[in-house]
Amino acid sequence: MHQSSGQYQTILDQLREKMGYDFVSLAFAQSEADGFVLTWQYASGNLNNRYKRIVLQSGKGIAGIVYKTGKPMLVEDVADELNSGDLFNYPILISERLTSVAAIPLYRFERVEGILLAGYRENSRFTREGLRMLHAQLRGEFGDFEVKEMSVL
Amino acid sequence: MTPQTSGISSDLLWNLYRNSPEAVLFFDAANHIIAINPAAERLFDPKLLSRLSSGGNNAFCFTCRGYTSEEELMSCLNCYLSSPARDFASFQLFLETKERGLLPFSASFFPIEEESGIRVLMLRDLTRPLMTQDSLNRNTMTKSIIKAQEDERKRISRELHDSVAQELISSLVDLRVLKYLNVQDEALQKIQQTEASLTRLLDQIRNLSVELRPASLDDLGLEAAFRSHFKWIEKNYGVLVRFTAELNGTRFNSEIETVVYRICQESVLNALKYADVDEIAVRLFEREDGLELIVRDEGCGFDVNARDPKGTGLGLYGMKERTELVNGELTITSEPGKGTAVHLRIPTGKAAAAPASGDPGKSYGRGEEK
Repeated sequence: MHQSSGQYQTILDQLREKMGYDFVSLAFAQSEADGFVLTWQYASGNLNNRYKRIVLQSGKGIAGIVYKTGKPMLVEDVADELNSGDLFNYPILISERLTSVAAIPLYRFERVEGILLAGYRENSRFTREGLRMLHAQLRGEFGDFEVKEMSVL
Repeated sequence: MTPQTSGISSDLLWNLYRNSPEAVLFFDAANHIIAINPAAERLFDPKLLSRLSSGGNNAFCFTCRGYTSEEELMSCLNCYLSSPARDFASFQLFLETKERGLLPFSASFFPIEEESGIRVLMLRDLTRPLMTQDSLNRNTMTKSIIKAQEDERKRISRELHDSVAQELISSLVDLRVLKYLNVQDEALQKIQQTEASLTRLLDQIRNLSVELRPASLDDLGLEAAFRSHFKWIEKNYGVLVRFTAELNGTRFNSEIETVVYRICQESVLNALKYADVDEIAVRLFEREDGLELIVRDEGCGFDVNARDPKGTGLGLYGMKERTELVNGELTITSEPGKGTAVHLRIPTGKAAAAPASGDPGKSYGRGEEK
């Protein structure tokens, strides 16, 4: 989408193409001065730019939950596993119309600093196996972040 | 039948019997049904009717589910058929009908020929009046629930904002003082961590308070409350709200402001839930006869008359109820593919804008002053 936004964008685009995801995005935690809010900084395969406006408190939304727990999150079927009245706590799912997603924490100095989200719109489903394949593909790192092995988490 | 007294002919009585919407059933002394009119035929099962006419003691009991006594809604104690001493000139009765199941009736049971013991039961369908009563009760109930919910939110929000948050701020100040005392580096680091987590906690409490009911709505008015709410919407849902306010800080009584705020909140939430849009336009302005709010989106729209709402379908109902609280008028126009507009008009004339009892100082600026 944005050529200027450098290496992360390239990694996201490549990851999406290679794994066949419909949407991949990367969220970073902001500094203490900004209250550690989380924002989606880069995206690949996005339908619109709504992701740029979303600001999540720790513990809120997909990124917030992964940030707070430090564990991957897998939603195989959004319609089935998340209460539809509750869905608006996960704005990225709405704005990108995702039906199946996985998110993994990205570590730097033993702290969660970023969240990688990958998802499908309809054609496929993210399963435990899919999450394992994503981990295998990343081989323990994403850019300059560390990705923990699933068994460790 | 009695022949012609004071203008009443047996023809007239016969027509009354044939055409009356009230069911009329004649019972003989042994409680056998001897005649019923067409209205009664329409109500009861032909099979049961034939059983009724062929007799058998208390055959009518197959249809009857009891009458309403002081003790019970449906009672068989001291049945009207078998207690001639009691007065059953007017009572409520439940009967099993052939098409519509169990129905309530207003009934009247009285002897018409003392010597032969023939009595008549007249029935008037009570479903409609009872439903009217029910929906009246429900409307009154909804309104008091809305009011109770709003009062409770206000109380908790105030409590959080004025006491919990204040306590926390004073602890934070204490903690900051601690940093300038002669403490070890290790302790200083811990203090800083605690300060950071307390600051986050304070933020969360403030968010909670604002989500419940923004204090700015009471203190600063609609425009300020909307501005911060729309900023929050943008952050939380990534949807931009284009807000045009033309009130210039005019205040209304707190009931009106609450209704406008809640209806706008609901409309915007509906738009971002269902309309699939990036932008929503909100316009708040004053006409000579009142306050108006328009929430418009260019999204997917919906069929206003469809009976299969997305979500619970209670949102629009709640909006209408709230509108009625302040004698307002709510119009929702939408068409699939053409977006949706919610238009709210609230009269702010003297009758509607009686000063709020809670804070008389805060309600000023009426429409007709201009």
